[in-house]
Amino acid sequence: MDTVTRRKFLQLTGAGAIAGIAASLSIEEIAQAALSNPLPFGTPIVVVVTLYGGNDGLNTVVPYQDSIYQASRPGISLDASKVIPLQDGLALNGSMTGFKSLWDQKKLAIVRGVGYPQPDHSHFSSMAIWQSASPQEHISSGWIGRWLDSQPHDPMRAIGLGSVLPPLLAGSKQVGSVLPLGGLVIPSGTLAQECSQLSKPSGADTPLVALAAQSMADLFKLSGDVGPVLKKSAPVPDVLPTQAGGNFGGDSSLSQQLDVVAKLIAVNAPTRVWAVSLGGFDTHADEIQGQTTLLGTVSNSITRFLSQMEKVGRSRDVTVLVYSEFGRRVKANASMGTDHGTAGPVFIAGGRTQGGFYGDQPSLKTLNNGDLMVTTDFRDVYGAILEDLLNTDKSRVIDGWKSKLPVFAKA
Amino acid sequence: MADLLDRLELSRLSHRFGFGPKPGEFAQLLNLGIDTARKKILTAPISDAAAESVTPPVLTDLGFFPTQKTQAAADFNLARQLQINALYTWWLDRMALADQALIERMTWFWHGHWATSYDKVQYALPMKIQNDTLRQYALSDFWQMSRAMVQDPALLYWLDAGQNSKKSPNENLARELMELFTLGVGNYTETDVREIARGLTGWQVYRSGATTQFNSLAHDSTPITFLGHTGSYDAQGISDVLVGEDACEQFIPARMWFRFLSTTNPMPSDLPTAFANRDINALVKALGRHGQMRVVGNSQVKSPVEWFIAVCRALSITPSKLQNVGYAISTLTNMGQLPFNPPNVGGWPADEAWLSASSAQFRLSFAQYLVKQGDLSYLAKDTTDQGIANWLGISEFSFRTKSAFAAAGNDPARLAVLAICSPEYVVNA
Repeated sequence: MDTVTRRKFLQLTGAGAIAGIAASLSIEEIAQAALSNPLPFGTPIVVVVTLYGGNDGLNTVVPYQDSIYQASRPGISLDASKVIPLQDGLALNGSMTGFKSLWDQKKLAIVRGVGYPQPDHSHFSSMAIWQSASPQEHISSGWIGRWLDSQPHDPMRAIGLGSVLPPLLAGSKQVGSVLPLGGLVIPSGTLAQECSQLSKPSGADTPLVALAAQSMADLFKLSGDVGPVLKKSAPVPDVLPTQAGGNFGGDSSLSQQLDVVAKLIAVNAPTRVWAVSLGGFDTHADEIQGQTTLLGTVSNSITRFLSQMEKVGRSRDVTVLVYSEFGRRVKANASMGTDHGTAGPVFIAGGRTQGGFYGDQPSLKTLNNGDLMVTTDFRDVYGAILEDLLNTDKSRVIDGWKSKLPVFAKA
Repeated sequence: MADLLDRLELSRLSHRFGFGPKPGEFAQLLNLGIDTARKKILTAPISDAAAESVTPPVLTDLGFFPTQKTQAAADFNLARQLQINALYTWWLDRMALADQALIERMTWFWHGHWATSYDKVQYALPMKIQNDTLRQYALSDFWQMSRAMVQDPALLYWLDAGQNSKKSPNENLARELMELFTLGVGNYTETDVREIARGLTGWQVYRSGATTQFNSLAHDSTPITFLGHTGSYDAQGISDVLVGEDACEQFIPARMWFRFLSTTNPMPSDLPTAFANRDINALVKALGRHGQMRVVGNSQVKSPVEWFIAVCRALSITPSKLQNVGYAISTLTNMGQLPFNPPNVGGWPADEAWLSASSAQFRLSFAQYLVKQGDLSYLAKDTTDQGIANWLGISEFSFRTKSAFAAAGNDPARLAVLAICSPEYVVNA
């Protein structure tokens, strides 16, 4: 590549440009505010991991000894050599070595056949159902958002990583915050004063205009509290999880997100719910390599994160929930992939989790129009989190819902 | 002196059916009177010299991906990067420069509707060809637009329809075609999805060259039954049936209502009749002339691209001529919206999703960067509250924002940063 095109390339891709801009804003000028309201040890913290696209549950928790499974998926079924056996004829995808170690420590719960009545095959409808916890009625608030509505306003209470608010954090009165991976930088000097004036409420504001002003106010509060923390390095676990399942790149976006979460938990941020995500699970084509890589990322980064939590004394406080909007069709399609399906496994991991299987494994013999039958309602999972971890009446957040999975140990 | 509701309506017309006024344009439109101004904004020009002055990028067929970690792969990836960057700036320039931005605005709407991402397509050429198609039909006939899109190479590749054979069909395109592009969720059954998937088999996509080919051997020509119709259908025949459905007459107007008027208030029941003939132009006019345009409360948040382009227009900035185009592109990426890269086939989110502390931060740094490179001469002539509102096409500023202006004195650069970051600009009342 000649130098002219290289320079043009660097200009166009922005490499080297960002530092210049950030320097002109001087992160050094951000107040070195200590967190004024540390989270007491012993307080449960929930980390919600959303897998976007519809993760293929049958190639995640694999019924590898079932001949129907093998016959339904020529070319994309996993045989005994490619999985990590657990029990009851089920095995983890071979890339999930980290999860196997959590399983052996009885810190991993696998909830089987999770879904809701009359499954919807649309990504958007189904994700909206999972994030709102309302399968029958379309509502725009999220389940964590409605929990936030019951709490005093604090932009630190629930935080999503990324630049766009995930719907699960939107309440009808309050919304969670979002934090970009690079942290937040606010302007200094006179501009800061003038901008903080822009963040004040004004009587004539429509709800959206008021929210725009609030987002500016939250920026000042969040960056004051969070900015200095993000400059620290992430906690180093005593024992790094083994990478025996292959190197899936420790550099993935999910592990970066969890690193930021780990740093903030390590300084006792008063945040009760974190939302992180990973996309790419819509494997209509060439599923094997793509999904294996993604599941390796999920397993490695969460296992590493839980080791970090051990190091900072939060291993009993932190619980990780992993879900996707649906599983996939039992039969493979023509493109070495699978189409949208229904029930799938949910993972719950952490110190309070009583490891093992929950819910029944859906039958491969009795299908509903080619799809797995749902054996566990996802609201039973949320119910346990709301009641046992967030200390909230589940029926108030999830319209009248009464039951929950016995997945958490008594505090 | 135009009354406040005229200002509100004109502000909405200017920002939602265009990308906001160029310096002086809002005052001129106010002087014309609301009826003439409305007609002007809602009528697409025969040609737009400013938009046409933007040189289209030279995109070539780059062929298949070479073996990884070779010099050929490095050159190939560089060429790919240069082509997509040229495509980004070409469209951003068109949006920012167009004298009458209705066509670019509608192309932007359709890009979010038939949302296809370079992230998977990986070549600029098919993305450009799709963009040309969306612009060609942006204000014309939805029957033709849908027929063109069901054989668009980028869309077919994006939704795996290029690997679709009769032996075991892939349902991705079939489902999204009904759910997101023509009918809306709830207006079809799972059986319809599976049947249409069979009808859509047989297409093969040559991605880098942006061509498609129909392979009759891979096509399932046995009759399919969907939405009460039975017969042997090809992609265009399926498209015609879907566009003819009553649900389509409701769905497209509802999507446009959602993106142009309100994401919370329900669509008025008289809007779909304007789409009875599937005439997009008639629907856009009906929407822009609707009484709801003067109803307080139909606020909408500017998405990052909409905000960026509106600022470029107000500051007479040509995006490709920014000192560091890469910074602009990476900031749009950080804000969550880069053209040609929607997050998924449902397009970008709306309203509240753009109002986070994180977006506020990126907007603030971006605003300072842009104001430094912008032309402030028009603003400098009148730095009163009213002068700033007219420059940016805002109906009125709140007491809060006026107080911030007062503290900034007469410095046009400081006033400009505050004004384009103000809640009244970020949210179009």
